[in-house]
Amino acid sequence: MFGRLLWKMLRSNRGRLAVALVAVASGATVISALLNLQFDIERKLTQEFRAFGANVVISRAGSAEGADASQSTPEVRGSPALMDQAAVLGQVEKMQTPDVVAAAPYLYVVARVGDVPIVAVGTWLDQARKLQPTWKLTGGWDPSRADEGRCLVGRNVARQFQLAPGSEIELKYLANSAHLRVADVVDAGGAEDNQIFVNLPVVQKLAALDGRIELVQLSVSGTGPGIGNYVSRLASSLPGYDVRPVRQVAEAEGNLLDRTRLLILSMVVLILVLTALCVLATMAALAMERRKNVGLMKALGGSISRIMELFLAEVSVLGAVGGLIGCIAGVALAEWMGRRVFGTSITPRWDVFPLTIAMMVGVALAGALPLRLLGKIRPAVILRGE
Amino acid sequence: MAALVQIENLRKEFGNVRALDGVTFTVEAGEWIAIMGPSGSGKTTLINILGGLDSPTSGKAVVDGTDVARLDEAGLTRFRAEKIGFVFQQFHLVSYLTALENVMLAQYFHSTTDEGEARAALERVGLADRIDHLPSELSGGEQQRVAVARALINQPKLILADEPTGNLDEANEEIVLRLFRELHAEGHTILMVTHAHSIGQLADRRIDLAHGRLAQVKLRV
Repeated sequence: MFGRLLWKMLRSNRGRLAVALVAVASGATVISALLNLQFDIERKLTQEFRAFGANVVISRAGSAEGADASQSTPEVRGSPALMDQAAVLGQVEKMQTPDVVAAAPYLYVVARVGDVPIVAVGTWLDQARKLQPTWKLTGGWDPSRADEGRCLVGRNVARQFQLAPGSEIELKYLANSAHLRVADVVDAGGAEDNQIFVNLPVVQKLAALDGRIELVQLSVSGTGPGIGNYVSRLASSLPGYDVRPVRQVAEAEGNLLDRTRLLILSMVVLILVLTALCVLATMAALAMERRKNVGLMKALGGSISRIMELFLAEVSVLGAVGGLIGCIAGVALAEWMGRRVFGTSITPRWDVFPLTIAMMVGVALAGALPLRLLGKIRPAVILRGE
Repeated sequence: MAALVQIENLRKEFGNVRALDGVTFTVEAGEWIAIMGPSGSGKTTLINILGGLDSPTSGKAVVDGTDVARLDEAGLTRFRAEKIGFVFQQFHLVSYLTALENVMLAQYFHSTTDEGEARAALERVGLADRIDHLPSELSGGEQQRVAVARALINQPKLILADEPTGNLDEANEEIVLRLFRELHAEGHTILMVTHAHSIGQLADRRIDLAHGRLAQVKLRV
C-alpha cells in the first residue's frame, strides 16, 4: 500500500513536482559536471602545466645553476659545477616512471659563429622538444637524439645569420669546430631564440667534456604531493646532487589547483542552496494543498510519522530521479566543458553518480522542511473547513 | 453492563467561547443516538472530542473504557485508528485515490491492508461496480457510501457521523440512511449529528444541545 500511495501522490502532483524535478535535475547536472571536472581537473591541469616546461632540475650540489638555466648565458663551467652524465642519467633511468614525461641533460658553452659569440646548448633534442612543448618549430622537424650533424637555431640567431632549414653553419669553440646543418628554427619567445641547440655529444666534443653535463631537467606530471614525493626519492638516490622542483611552476600549479577546488566547492554549495530553495518553495505550496488530506489521514488514525514517511519518500524519489537525470546530463556537460576549457575529453567518474544522487536526495529532504508544518495540523480544524 | 460511552460534566472552551458546558450522558453499546440542536450548540465539538480529534477543557469522555481526555497525541492517534469510524458531511475522500484505495487507506493506518476486505466493504454499500473510480467520478451519495465503507473497514466500536446526509439529495439520503439502519440492526453503536428531525426519529435516542448544554434527551416513540 505504501508504494501504491506513493505512486498516486507522485502522479497527482506531477505538475508541481515537475517544477521541483527540473530544479533538482538542473542542479544535479551542474554539480555532476563540476564534480567530474574536479576529479579530472588535477590531471588536466598538470598536463597543462607541463606546457610550461621542466618542473624538476638536477644540478651539482652548491651550483648556482638550476631552475632557470636556460635563461642565462653561462661560460663552460669548471669541473666542480659539472656532473657525471652516466651516474646521473643512469639513476634517472632507474627512477623512470610513467609520470616522467621527459628528461634531458644540458651542457652549455659559449661558442662562436664566425666572430659572434653564441650560446650552444648540448642536450637530447628529442627530449628537449618534449620539455618545451610551447616551442614552435617552423620547419616541422621531428628532432632526433642520434643526429649529430643537425641543429636547431633560435629565431633571432636564424635572423642574424640568415639561416633557414637546410642552411649550413660552423660552430667553433677554442680550437674545435663542428659543421652542422640547420634542421629547423625555434620560435620560443624567450632566451632560446638566441641559442643554438645540438645533441649533447656535439657540445661535449667541442668543449672536450666527454661524459660531463651541467644539469638535467625533467618534466614530471602528477599532483604537487606526487611530484614532491618523486623529487624526494630521486634526491635520496643522488647524494651530492641538488634535486629540486622548479618552485614557481610548482607553486603556481598548487595555487591554481587550490583555487579551482575552492571555486568548484563554492559553486557546488551555492547550487545546492539554490536547489534547496526551489524545492522548498514547491514543497511549501504542496504543504498548503495537502493540509486537508493530512487532516483526514490523521482523523483516520494515521500517525504523523507514518504520514511524513509518505511525503519524505516522495521528495526522496524526487531527489533520486532528479539526481540521476542530472548525473547523466552532467557527464555530457562535463564533456562539453572539458573540450571547451581544456581541449580534451573528460573521463566520466562513476563515483560522482552516487555522490550527486545522495546530495540531491539530501537537498530535496532539506527543501521538504515546510512539510514539517503538516505535523501541527489539527484535523478537527482542517475538516471543519477552516 | 458498562456503557460504551460515558460523558461526565464535559466542558470545551475556545478562548472566551464555551462550546460545551457540563454535558453529561451515556451511550449503551448498539445504540443509535441522534445529536441535534441549532448551529453553534456544540454538536460537532462533542463528536470531535468523542472521536479524539479534539480535547476537552475539563470533564470525562470515556469510550470503550478509554478516557479520551487523558490521551496524548500518539494515544489519540491509536484511539482513532482502532475505535472510531468517522463519516463526515463533506465525505472527505482523498481525491487522487480510487474508492477501493480510500477504504484501504483506513486499513493502512490501522494495521495492514487487505484488498479483499476493502472490496467486500464497498460491495456491501452497493459500490461493487465503482471500486476503481476516483471520487470525482462518483456522485455525492456514492462518495458518502465510500466514506461509510471506510468507517466500517476496521470494525470500530463507535461510528461518529457528522451530518452524513447534509450534502445529499433525497434519493441518496435514503440510500445512506438505509445503510445506517442496517449497521444499527447489526449492533453497531452510532452517534449521528443531524439537523433533520426525520433522521433524528430513526435513532433510539435524541440528545438536544443548546448553547453547549444538554437541552433534552428523548427516546424514540
